[in-house]
Amino acid sequence: MNRKSTATPRGGPETDVQPPRLDAPVPDDGHGPEGTAAERVGPRAAGLPWWANPRVGLVVVIAVLVLGFSSARPAFLDVELTLVPLQRDIAVFAVVGLAQLAALSLGHMNLAVGRMAALAAFSAGLCYDRFGAPLVVGLVVALVVGALVGALAGGIITATGVNSFVVTLALDFGLLGVVALLYDRFAGGVAFSVRPPGLDALRSDTFSDYCAGSVCGPPVPLLVPFALVALLAVGLFFGRTRQGREILMTGSSPRAARASGIPVGRRIVTAHALSGLLAGLAGFMLATANGAFSASIGESFLLPSFLAPVLGGTLLAGGAVSAFGTVLGATLTSVIQKGLNLLQFEADALQIFIGVVLVVALSLDRIRQVLAERRGVRP
Amino acid sequence: MSTVLDEDMGAGAGQGAGASRRTALSLHRTELVLALVAVAGFGVLAATTGGNILQPGTMQAVLQFLAVPIVVGLAQMVVLSVGQMNLSVGALTGLCAMAAASLMADSGLTPWLALPAALLVGALAGLVNGTLVVLTRINGFIVTLATMSVISGLRFSINGTGTYQDYSPGLVRLGRADVLGLPVVFLVAVATAVLVWFFFARCVAGRMLLASGGNPFAARLSGISNDRSVVLAHLLSGLLAAVAGVLVVALSGSVNASVGDDLLLPSFAAPIIGGVVLTGGVVSVLGTCLAAFIVRLVDVAQAQYGINPRWVDLVVGAVVLGAVLVSQRRGKGSS
Repeated sequence: MNRKSTATPRGGPETDVQPPRLDAPVPDDGHGPEGTAAERVGPRAAGLPWWANPRVGLVVVIAVLVLGFSSARPAFLDVELTLVPLQRDIAVFAVVGLAQLAALSLGHMNLAVGRMAALAAFSAGLCYDRFGAPLVVGLVVALVVGALVGALAGGIITATGVNSFVVTLALDFGLLGVVALLYDRFAGGVAFSVRPPGLDALRSDTFSDYCAGSVCGPPVPLLVPFALVALLAVGLFFGRTRQGREILMTGSSPRAARASGIPVGRRIVTAHALSGLLAGLAGFMLATANGAFSASIGESFLLPSFLAPVLGGTLLAGGAVSAFGTVLGATLTSVIQKGLNLLQFEADALQIFIGVVLVVALSLDRIRQVLAERRGVRP
Repeated sequence: MSTVLDEDMGAGAGQGAGASRRTALSLHRTELVLALVAVAGFGVLAATTGGNILQPGTMQAVLQFLAVPIVVGLAQMVVLSVGQMNLSVGALTGLCAMAAASLMADSGLTPWLALPAALLVGALAGLVNGTLVVLTRINGFIVTLATMSVISGLRFSINGTGTYQDYSPGLVRLGRADVLGLPVVFLVAVATAVLVWFFFARCVAGRMLLASGGNPFAARLSGISNDRSVVLAHLLSGLLAAVAGVLVVALSGSVNASVGDDLLLPSFAAPIIGGVVLTGGVVSVLGTCLAAFIVRLVDVAQAQYGINPRWVDLVVGAVVLGAVLVSQRRGKGSS
């Protein structure tokens, strides 16, 4: 059993005494059944060999898959047909993964990523439709709405101490209704038909369409920089800023964090707001890529949002994240999806394959970790 | 209103006796509150619709469509009892429904063979889930997320997006029949709930699941294999999801691969509203059934008043959060 071995103080006779502030009921760190202390420290801290790093494995697997797919179907390397849409997919799903990563950093979950994205996309669409706002304003509104909903989730979790799984599950239910009602009310259906100026360019152009003299840019869609900025920002936030480090510390041990004077509640709100903000960005990006602000945005986000960070080595237990790994995880799933599409697999076979890949990848990760730990013990 | 069992359960085995009694007490109160809410909601609905809901036909429809949510909620509850989750519940219900329908329609089996085969499929899938969790030591959430993807792929591979109809007129007649005004499918769901209650209350294996969920360390010291508990819980969860799938087949008369798509969130809603805690060790069959009934009432109210169906999701979300908040508040008050 890989669950926490410490008994949770569920109120035995002795705990009737007013607990000191240190023991005040901290919001539960996720639903718990994972992460022994050794796992939580992760390979990095234990000084493990490089091959125990899940990112290395991911790069190898991606390279092998790309080689395989492109030798089976040369069209896989076709820029217009495959590579450009592939980059767009990767960009969107990397941001979705980063949104989940922000919640995972605490050991929390955000089951409402998809619905937060939908609400954010709705508000952007509303701005364009009702107020004729320029493209940038819609983006900012989407980010703000996402962040506010995320902060609301974080606030409820902090104020009530209810498990993040339950809170975001309830929020998901709630937003599911709200988004549909809003589209009914304001869009008279399921989508806004408006296209603000610039949206089409953002949707279909790549940098190769923009030339300075005779030098044109690479065939990279205009959406990709959004994901790069998000990646850099998240990486720097968790790696370099005080707030980010404090969130990670809260994730690895809320009690220790509280004892070290970290405002745990506020950090939980921050992390969830970040998660909502990134979900909002993903919603905006998907709406742009689809060319429509519709109620169905975000419906397919839940599974990929966990796939990307978990494949990339982010633990569900909290306290350790890998932003770059998340992008690799998103790349892996998108490459598989595109490749199988080209090989004309049906959608059902695709789902089976992705599920199997996830299990295999995680099992290999586990085996690698066990091997590496054994080697680490025996110097 | 006889949706309920006469007893409850709630015991954190492996904790102190006082804690266990307190958990039981708090659960009792949760169930009492839920029962009151259910009765009050039903009364209000009956009064405001001018007794419309009390018409035999309406009442039967209410209970008929309560059967699947109850069983699916129980399927989730069983894994929650050991502190695990099963995200594949909805997809598995769909797969078992499709398997049963396919065996009857394509292979020409009688329901007597096809339905047990579907149950076997569910149990096997559950076994795979549990084994994967134990062998890989990956969080059950992630494992079942992956198997959910696989299972829903399999579900579509049986018949694509096609629909099975007319697979067994006898079975469908049975699914729509009623005994003394109570639909057969509902009675099956209640019987399933009684069995699950009996399993957790009186069977050694059930007590072991609760012990593993409540405090795995103590459970291990008492000679209980936590791994076995996890596998058993997932297996039972798969079996119950298959029961739900069979109920769908009997009830609806036509099934396609989208069955189960909308069951995942309700499967969590029922036990969570019912007072089951996510960390394991506590189950409440009565609470889960009552919660499913309350969610069903919201549905019925929507239909009766002609409200936009989207409000249902909103209300259910609020109810989930509200129920957890209330029980949390009460928990703090009593300690």
